[in-house]
Amino acid sequence: MSSVRLEAVSLWRRLQEEASFDLKRRIFTLLKARRYERRRRRVLDAVSLDLPKGEKLGIIGPNGSGKSTMLKIICGILSPSEGKVSVEGSIAPLIELGAGFDPDLAVRDNILLYGVLLGHSAAEMRAKMPFILEFAELDEFADVPVRALSSGMVARLGFAIATDTNPDILILDEVLSVGDESFRNKSRRRIESMWHDHVTVLLVSHDLQFIRESCSRAIWMQAGGIVKDGSPGDVVDAYLRSVDSSAQERLARARARLAP
Amino acid sequence: MVLTERMLRARYRGSILGIVWSLMNPLLMTGVYTAVFGYAFRQYYAGSVLHYALVVFIGLTVIQFFSGSTSQALSSIVVNSGLLNKIRVPFEVFPASTVASHAVQLGIGVLPLLIVVTLFSTHDVFRALLLPLPLAGLILFSAGVAYLMSTIYVYFRDIPHIYELITFFAWVTLPIFYPAAIVPEHVRRFLVFNPLFPTVQSLRDLALGSGWPDLPSIAASLAIGALGLGLGLTIFTWRRREFMDLI
Repeated sequence: MSSVRLEAVSLWRRLQEEASFDLKRRIFTLLKARRYERRRRRVLDAVSLDLPKGEKLGIIGPNGSGKSTMLKIICGILSPSEGKVSVEGSIAPLIELGAGFDPDLAVRDNILLYGVLLGHSAAEMRAKMPFILEFAELDEFADVPVRALSSGMVARLGFAIATDTNPDILILDEVLSVGDESFRNKSRRRIESMWHDHVTVLLVSHDLQFIRESCSRAIWMQAGGIVKDGSPGDVVDAYLRSVDSSAQERLARARARLAP
Repeated sequence: MVLTERMLRARYRGSILGIVWSLMNPLLMTGVYTAVFGYAFRQYYAGSVLHYALVVFIGLTVIQFFSGSTSQALSSIVVNSGLLNKIRVPFEVFPASTVASHAVQLGIGVLPLLIVVTLFSTHDVFRALLLPLPLAGLILFSAGVAYLMSTIYVYFRDIPHIYELITFFAWVTLPIFYPAAIVPEHVRRFLVFNPLFPTVQSLRDLALGSGWPDLPSIAASLAIGALGLGLGLTIFTWRRREFMDLI
């Protein structure tokens, strides 16, 4: 049984341009009879993917290759221009942690609001509050507005809220590098505790070593498409080989990390 | 809708101060207007300065609700782009919850005061019971404008300056602090085209009038509200698919 299934999914996005955000400038452009052209870009190009339940998928590829976009489509944040997406089970999305908080609200209220937006009830969130605060190590800051927290603290809070669930599908987008060393170890342990056989995991990471060790399958994305799909070892090796001479230095660093 | 309510609760948990403030503001402004114009305009209000003050107060609560809620809702989609990029939330929630939070303040602060005024001046419970109707019209219309403006703001980020002008225009063309009678005849007949006019008219009639309540004004207020919301939501839904690419 597949839990996530993409069938030839393509996504076109409008490019954001300076002029498209300014009414006055737009009017002047029209008055000067300059043609106003909307530009669109294909971000995902006929991506097909079939994940059976319990698969741990590692996703690698350069920045801007569509990794996060694909995860957003799976979460339902973006809807595809073409193709079909089907998802079975509850999703815990962990994307770009900490971006969605209201800076003026206290930590406590943000936890409540955020949890509600994630689909939990307010009562449920109140019950979970102490555990979330404890995990994020923010007990003393419960009534402080989020704007007063450091960026590391905000990321910790986001991680603590989002992982305080029992999802069927876990989506991890570069979240293993949150916070300081001790929190990183703690969050890794929590993710490992969620790493049950029946949970489907989609993980975007530049930590190739982690993907090699913990995933059961990997895909390599480039320019909105899947270049290679297979066992983590093969895909990571192929990816590393392809990184060309201009990125020789990065390659060397990655090899050094893989060597020991 | 459930989400809106929860969001509201999280946001306005126990902020009694906010409600006090939402009452203080129109009361203080009423005081200023009454001090400056009350004496000069009293002849239009049966010679009563108090009557003038009440008329001003009702007008102010209407226009302040409208401009306050819509100009806050204007940026609601764009401001929450971080959230919208992270989790799946229906876009409709944001303008609606902004207007709803203002509506709660209206319901807790202004409405009881209007009921007291109505009971004192007309001794008519029926009129007091009708008060929520024009207020509902006001809320619906404001929600419609909130949807419309938050859609436009996604495309044009310089719209707040223009919108400020529009609200000012609505402010001045509504007979709030002046009697409509001082406006020259050929201008006055355009004042009724202000979409908030029936709301103000019917609220004043309910609170201060006599005889049979001005039902056509109440009906007009509700109709404009429903129409405004329908139009705003239509445009919002029509454009919604593009929002994610632009915020």
